Amino acid sequence: MGDIRQSLLPRDVLSAAKELLYHLDIYICNLVQSGRQPPQVDSKTLELVEEFILHAPKDRNTPARRMSALQELQLLEIMCSCFQEQSRDAVRQLMFAALFNLQGNQADESRMALLGKLVSMAIAVGRVPILECAATWLQRTHRVYCVRLAQVLVDDYCSMVPGSVPTLQNIHSASPRFCCQFITAVTTLYDFTSEELTPPLELLQMIVSWIQDDPHLVLITFLNSPISGSQPITSLDVTPLGGLVRWCIKAPLVYRRDKKQALTNGSSENEPEVGPLFSALHLSVLQVLMLLPNILNEKGLFGRLALLQMESLAALTSDLSRLLDQADKHTHTSSADTLALSQLALDRLAQALQVAMASGALLCSRGNSVEKWCRECLYIVVLLQLVLSGPVMYYNNIHTSPLAYSPHAAHSPIAPHPTLPALPTHRAHTPHAPLAPHPSSHPQYPAQPFMTGMPFPFRPSH
Amino acid sequence: MSVVFDGSPLKAMQSSHTHTPQTALSTQELSQEIKSFISGVDTVQGRKLSVREHARCAVRLLRSVPACRGAVLEHLRGVYDEHVSAFLHNLETESNASTGVSSNLEDIIQEIHAVLSEFIRLNPRAWAPLVSTWAVDLLGQLSSKHAGRRVAPHSSSLNELLQLWMSCAATRSLMEAYSQCLAAMLAWCPDACVDALLDTSVQHSPHFDWVVAHIGSAFPGTIISRVMACGLKDFCSHGAKDQGLLVMGVDKGSRVPKIGSVVGILGHLAAHHSDSIRKELLRMFQESLNPSSPLSPTSSSTSWESSPQLRRAAVPFLLQLAAMSPNLFGPVSAELVELLRPPVLLQLQAVLQGLPREELDNMLGLVVHLISQSPSGGARVFRFLADTATPASVIISGPTPSPHEGVREGCDRLLQMLLLHLHKLVFNRTDGVEVNPHHSASSQPQRVIPFLEELQSHVGQLCAETLRLERKRHLWLHQLLCLLSVYGGPSTATEALCQLLTQARNPEELALAWQLHTTLSSCMAGLIPAAIARSVAQIHTHTLGPRQLRQLLLNLAAAIQSQDEERRGATGAQSSMVVQVGSAVSGHLHDFCPLLLHGDPAVSHAAVRLLSCSPLPRTCSPAQLLQLSRAAVTHFFLTLRRRGEGGKAGRDGGQAGEAVNCSVLLLSRFAAYSPLTLKSVLQQLVEGALHKGNTDLFGGQIADMSGAPVPSPSVSPDVGASLLDVNCRFGTTVNFSSSVWSVFHAGVIGKGLKARTITQLPDPSLVIQNIQILLAVIVKCCSSSGLNGSRSPSDPDEPPPINAEAAKVVAVTLVENVCPDVANSELSWPPEEHARTTVERDIHIRRCFEAHPVLFPLLQVVAAGRPALCYCSAVLRGLLATLLAHWEASREAASTDSPWHLQASCLLVSCMGEGQILPPVLANVHEAFPHLTPFEVRLLLLAVWEYVRGNGPMPQKFVFSSEKGMFCRDFSRDGDVARYVAPIHSVLHKNIDRLGHLCWRFQL
Repeated sequence: MGDIRQSLLPRDVLSAAKELLYHLDIYICNLVQSGRQPPQVDSKTLELVEEFILHAPKDRNTPARRMSALQELQLLEIMCSCFQEQSRDAVRQLMFAALFNLQGNQADESRMALLGKLVSMAIAVGRVPILECAATWLQRTHRVYCVRLAQVLVDDYCSMVPGSVPTLQNIHSASPRFCCQFITAVTTLYDFTSEELTPPLELLQMIVSWIQDDPHLVLITFLNSPISGSQPITSLDVTPLGGLVRWCIKAPLVYRRDKKQALTNGSSENEPEVGPLFSALHLSVLQVLMLLPNILNEKGLFGRLALLQMESLAALTSDLSRLLDQADKHTHTSSADTLALSQLALDRLAQALQVAMASGALLCSRGNSVEKWCRECLYIVVLLQLVLSGPVMYYNNIHTSPLAYSPHAAHSPIAPHPTLPALPTHRAHTPHAPLAPHPSSHPQYPAQPFMTGMPFPFRPSH
Repeated sequence: MSVVFDGSPLKAMQSSHTHTPQTALSTQELSQEIKSFISGVDTVQGRKLSVREHARCAVRLLRSVPACRGAVLEHLRGVYDEHVSAFLHNLETESNASTGVSSNLEDIIQEIHAVLSEFIRLNPRAWAPLVSTWAVDLLGQLSSKHAGRRVAPHSSSLNELLQLWMSCAATRSLMEAYSQCLAAMLAWCPDACVDALLDTSVQHSPHFDWVVAHIGSAFPGTIISRVMACGLKDFCSHGAKDQGLLVMGVDKGSRVPKIGSVVGILGHLAAHHSDSIRKELLRMFQESLNPSSPLSPTSSSTSWESSPQLRRAAVPFLLQLAAMSPNLFGPVSAELVELLRPPVLLQLQAVLQGLPREELDNMLGLVVHLISQSPSGGARVFRFLADTATPASVIISGPTPSPHEGVREGCDRLLQMLLLHLHKLVFNRTDGVEVNPHHSASSQPQRVIPFLEELQSHVGQLCAETLRLERKRHLWLHQLLCLLSVYGGPSTATEALCQLLTQARNPEELALAWQLHTTLSSCMAGLIPAAIARSVAQIHTHTLGPRQLRQLLLNLAAAIQSQDEERRGATGAQSSMVVQVGSAVSGHLHDFCPLLLHGDPAVSHAAVRLLSCSPLPRTCSPAQLLQLSRAAVTHFFLTLRRRGEGGKAGRDGGQAGEAVNCSVLLLSRFAAYSPLTLKSVLQQLVEGALHKGNTDLFGGQIADMSGAPVPSPSVSPDVGASLLDVNCRFGTTVNFSSSVWSVFHAGVIGKGLKARTITQLPDPSLVIQNIQILLAVIVKCCSSSGLNGSRSPSDPDEPPPINAEAAKVVAVTLVENVCPDVANSELSWPPEEHARTTVERDIHIRRCFEAHPVLFPLLQVVAAGRPALCYCSAVLRGLLATLLAHWEASREAASTDSPWHLQASCLLVSCMGEGQILPPVLANVHEAFPHLTPFEVRLLLLAVWEYVRGNGPMPQKFVFSSEKGMFCRDFSRDGDVARYVAPIHSVLHKNIDRLGHLCWRFQL
């Protein structure tokens, strides 16, 4: 393979790339046919790819050749047809891997750029084989790069070209595997930490509709891939469940914040409300979780495989408490809304926890770890309660030294709550119950004692 | 936003695109589209796509396949290029043949534009950076590619370029798209956008400048600051190596492309946004000085402030910018000078200290060049420099506290370099013409130096400042004045000299004027006459205030007086100049003489000083001479009056006295000038002395026609008599009882004598002084050598003899004024009895003498100028006749009882003796008068009469004696005196007891 370099050199950029693709195809066919296990593309070939397709500078004294955008488009087109025409899946996979598997060198940047364009184009023109290969790529590659690919696609279809969302929507039918991986990548990408990292509305709608149509979509990768230890730890999760749970729980608080900013910025208010979307998504997620026990049992993995990672949930709770903290600072302005939304977030967390634990998606010894979360959750709940019921002093006391100064030490809210796992269920069916106290009631009402065994001594709001 | 993409069809298209439901293409179709796009062949029908269809295809892909974005945009470049080519070709051929093609493409370009602008509108964050880079790049490519076309105007004419490109749909569309992007991006990242613009600008400069200029006028705030920051960075990276080339404007800077672009762009923007540019330039200057400017949120993005290197380069950069574009610099300079307060100067110094010496020198040269080329504000700049550079201890006035020493030295150096530079410019300018005599002056126009050009209107101020004589400062200013004068030619030089002459207040200050003249005299002739002429013109137009006028006159006088000193001492350039001043002034004497009568005493005083010391012109028209003499004499009397008033007021006495002296000097010199002037001066002096208005000066009373003092109307009671009434009744009631005249002279019959007015006589000592002065003047005039030139070089102690001709003038004038009736009458005397026929006239004469005490001294002067007294014969006779009548009628015991008559008799006789009308024996009789009775006095006076009757007072009887230098009368030729002496002897005899001591006086 390496000997063709001399013949490629004098060619112009495009035809060299074309020729290399042609040779690569033949080479890989031979490789597969030879039946050597595992089929391995040698490094010489990879270098050729880097030189003639990705145009990474080979050494310093040869100037890097560049393709014009038009030539690049032609190359992409050729690749598309090349993958389309190749009937053998193994060859395709090998070829894709040869072209786009990251090598940890400086060619990776152009590799990613080309990959982004190729996948984007494959989506547009419906090249399923490429999407399948890309799905595999997404499974194997470090999540950082997966996220980048997802970003490119979202940018292309959700923001750059208006009206092209339906095209992206089609990947669900074209390649469910890719679609599933895409959702995973997207949920990893958009973690609500900043405005840029909030999913575009179109994307959200699209994902919700996908999952609503077919809850199994979420599990496709999990179902189709052999459970082995070969999954690199840095790759994406097997399912997007963790990310989706995170979305649903964080969303109320984040969107409240956004809405407030939007209000102050005076931007348009005619955007459709995202709340219902997340509610639907949450429901779907719960449904998917409910599906899990059967599947796991079928696979014989119940209680052995955690689809929800403990660590990610821990991160989620800490994020949540931070968000609640922030929400708390705004209590005096719009306490009713804030409290309702905070409550919603907590409710979703509790529901998700409970269902996940019940369905075996979350593996935890009912020991320390759960205890710890509960405690954290309890902190949050107590916090809510105190904000609702009384002087600010409580709040301070709780955060500094729970017992030291409180005049109501006897009713310390810190006491471990035995009924905690069931706690949210009391409220689960009324997530939007009017929780707001009278905004001006704080001075008039002295501290409400916290009753043990009465988890939510909300005052009536009339 | 001024960028308006004028095209309603475009908008319509845009809307139609957005509203038509997009037919979603299937994946198959898209695949086909891509293939078509790539190959340029319709894959379905297998034929080649036209440019238009191809572009449409590209747009469809742009809308549906995100991955094709880059390729599509790249393809569209070609479309735009095609359109521009067609457009230009169309222009070049000026035919309508290809309109079809161009309009076709125009329409597709509008489609493209619609799609792009829709995208930008919907998602600016994603599209604006992309499209802006693309559009700018394409614009740059198009502008430089087509720059060589025949129709394309030269890149230096921005406006034409702008016009051309904005009329082309493609470029206009790109511009519009870019503007839209920029407008969208301004909110979050203007830098990227503008940087791309400027990078392209550098790459395609100068063809691309029109784009930047246009964008700049749409977004002045952003672009101006960014352009400058960019230019600064570039300047800094290029270093100051190229600076030297540009200092003198030799090279327009092909080596520094960016700064040229910056200047071009800013220059274009300056038309409409000069204010923002000015602010921005000043802001850059200020920011660059702030040593620890906390990065403000606005400046954090531009960030040149944060780099110390860039900050150091800011000032040289600004200078460079200013040097390359006077338009930019002009408005800034004034404000810049305002900004340069001491703290700022200190900062500036701190910043500049870090620069290498060579660079500093370059900068200094640049600054000097700038100042000398700046068309406005030069005066302020110069004043600022001088203020700052003046050593602290000498700054007396001025609000600015003393600057730091280093700053001061810097300014000092700068100032000196500036002066040196100007010097070179000024003198090379004229040299250039002289060196190439073959080239006419027009072919090599004199180089204009805007700085000096502007300062020409500030010559007055400069002169005033120079005259303040602050230590170093006035040297600079003086140097500048010299340069200015040389530059401005005679007119400026004249003005400067004039100003100095007008404004100098003391000899030191005046010396500056002479220094200036000395410097200029080498290259300019006739400066002083011109300056004097100019001053005179100013006098005529009354542009000078009294104070300035006075100063001017005094300065001129001082100049001329110094001539006299110089004559004694060293001579040199200055003396020649002084001579010039003298001759120039003398040429304009008649222009100065009206100033003698100026209302302001100070001015008239100054004028008299000038006139009294200035040399008299060689030739002068009689009219001017008469005018001069009249003015001089009038002024003389004015000064006398002022002196009197001043004496009363007790102040200005010295000045008034000096004025009198000057006036006397002037009159005497003037009288000596020519017979005409002598005559006129004397005449007017006498007339003036006897004039109604002046009589009180000399102790006189205002006399009416009859010679009697006129009672003031308020004092005299109305007696109800009117000569008119009497005359009207003349025919009916004949009243011959007495003469009408006599009746009215003495009063109305039946009503007693007319009341004599008691006028308040002035201070007798003052009167005496005045009379003395008057006499001194007259004597001086009379004794000057004007008439015969026979001034004997006798010893100076003895006063020169009174000139006979002059005395005659006085005599004749006197007679005319005392009694016009007897002027030119017979000189010989009739018998005493005939005096009865002339009683009326005699009384008039006597009253005249009574009213004007000054007459007797005048007579004495006349008498001294023998034989002039002869011409007064009639007056003498009249006076003597009335005296005789008086003494005859007097019933007093002694002559001393009527003092006036006694005095008059004594004076008369002594005068006649002095005038040699009487022989000494007879002339001495007056010594006896006070001791005699009135009758005896009459006897003696009768003897006098008899003698004169017998020996008529004829001038022919006088002969000139050369040893005495005057005329004398030989009495021995006349008849025997003895017979006239007999009555004297009788009287002597009768009163021998009292008159014994006088006997010897009457020996024959």
